[in-house]
Amino acid sequence: MKQPFICYLMVSALALAGGCAQPPTDKLTTAEKAINEARAAGAPTYLAEDFAKLEGMLTTAKREIAEQDAKFAMLRDYDKAEQLLAAVETDAARVNTDATKKKEEAKAVALQAQQAAQEAVKATQELVKKAPVGKDQKPLQAIKADAQGLIASLSEVQTALDAGDYRVAQIKAKAIQEKSLAVQAEIQRAMTKVGAAKAQKDKQVKKHSSR
Amino acid sequence: MPAPTRVFLSGCSMMILLIGSLAACVQTAPPELLEAVESLDRDLVAIQGAEFAPTEYARFVQDWAALKGRMLAEEDVIRWPWEPNPLAAHLQKVQEEGEQAMAVATQRKEEDRRDAEARLTLLDRRLRIFNSRVDEMESRVVLGQRPIETELLVRQAHSFLDQGLFARSLQATEQASTLIVAQTALLTTELKRYADERLVGTWRQMARRTIAWSRTNQATAILVNKADRRLTIYRNGRPVVSYQVRLGYNGIMEKRYQGDGATPEGQYRVVKKRDRGQTQFYRALLLDYPNAEDRRRFHKARRAGAIPAGAFIGGQIEIHGEDGLPMSQTLGCLMLDNRQMDKLFEKVEVGAPVTIIGALKVSNPVALALADLEQFEEG
Repeated sequence: MKQPFICYLMVSALALAGGCAQPPTDKLTTAEKAINEARAAGAPTYLAEDFAKLEGMLTTAKREIAEQDAKFAMLRDYDKAEQLLAAVETDAARVNTDATKKKEEAKAVALQAQQAAQEAVKATQELVKKAPVGKDQKPLQAIKADAQGLIASLSEVQTALDAGDYRVAQIKAKAIQEKSLAVQAEIQRAMTKVGAAKAQKDKQVKKHSSR
Repeated sequence: MPAPTRVFLSGCSMMILLIGSLAACVQTAPPELLEAVESLDRDLVAIQGAEFAPTEYARFVQDWAALKGRMLAEEDVIRWPWEPNPLAAHLQKVQEEGEQAMAVATQRKEEDRRDAEARLTLLDRRLRIFNSRVDEMESRVVLGQRPIETELLVRQAHSFLDQGLFARSLQATEQASTLIVAQTALLTTELKRYADERLVGTWRQMARRTIAWSRTNQATAILVNKADRRLTIYRNGRPVVSYQVRLGYNGIMEKRYQGDGATPEGQYRVVKKRDRGQTQFYRALLLDYPNAEDRRRFHKARRAGAIPAGAFIGGQIEIHGEDGLPMSQTLGCLMLDNRQMDKLFEKVEVGAPVTIIGALKVSNPVALALADLEQFEEG
């Protein structure tokens, strides 16, 4: 008579132990932390879809926890939620690494573009000093204003870089470089034109003096 | 058949049947459906589903994640063969959600692309017209660095569009448009006087007086029309010759102070003739700028704080030829071709009146270009 009673007690204890499953709060915190780290690494910009998936998985896990929480204590089972949270943590780490890599790549490209833009603007400034202005030339002041505008725009590239917005920085730098080259070409054309006019004038002067 | 063998065989058959029925009851997700959903997932990544269909994509992602968890949790669950496969039903639902997200993302992306492209095309056209009118008015310098800022934004908008960053492209387009509006407003403020009937009337009177003086005194007088960029020589009250003239680098503006590049408007006289060797600009006719009216206007503007405190009124305004090195610029003077300058130099004596006006008619090239620009902006 004593043995069945002990068995009953043990079964009850086991059932209670099983029924009192605790929500995976620590795992949830860890998963949320991992997602925040991925966000800080630039995942929403550089791996937007992967990041959206992570957020989707976290939402599903939270919903699962809420569903289990709503159940009678002895019937709660957080296994599925725990599996999802573990997957979130693993995937978030991968997304974090990949986003960091992509961000670094974008940064390198942006820095390269910035340097190219700086060099192009500098070359433009040098050329502006030699820019000819004659009767048929664009006013020097307009060219100077263009050069000043290009210099001022370089600070926008730096602002975008400082904000970690490398795509924008690269595009801004590219636009500056292209426009600088266009201004340089414009000055070169004017110089060629003036050079030709001067050569002709010198030739005429030489002709007159030899008479 | 001996009895033990029969028992053994029937036992084996029972076992096979049991294993067979058990295997049939482990329900897995249909592989073709699974592949379809996985393919949708990849396509949604490629089309930037998170950006273009955020709600639909989030629903798909959440359900897809839940389904993956469920497949993991239920991989050992045994069901009766006649029971429906819940994983297949769930997969079907996820597939439908994915397809919906895909349809929405595709449609929105295309809409956004079309919108960004249309606005940028409009901006390109607007900028072309704007630049053309600015060139017509020779008012590029008035705008300072704004034209290049606008052009850089337009270039950025194109790059963003090429990279599929439509929202960024629209933002840059919007900024460039705002800059064009600001520049149009600035030009209107600075150049609206060319459309001011009263002021044009005053200029007309100045021109009439000069022509009348030429007629009365049977002498030569010069009339310069800034809007038309024409210099006309009058003799005995009749126009004898007219030349295209170049103004200061900011010549279309009203002269305010030294170094602003504007060509003054007023009634002047030639005070000195500078022949070759006396000027770096071939030959020149020095005018009596600033006259009393210029000084009065300058001091009034300075008192009102309309010009920089340390600014000077300037001087040395001439009608001159080109620099020997064709590298010159006029800072407010009037420049002629050297051959034309020769003719003018010979025709004009010291004391000859030189009247510089903005325009003779309200429908002058500057006023017309400005009106066109304003009309385009309003339209």
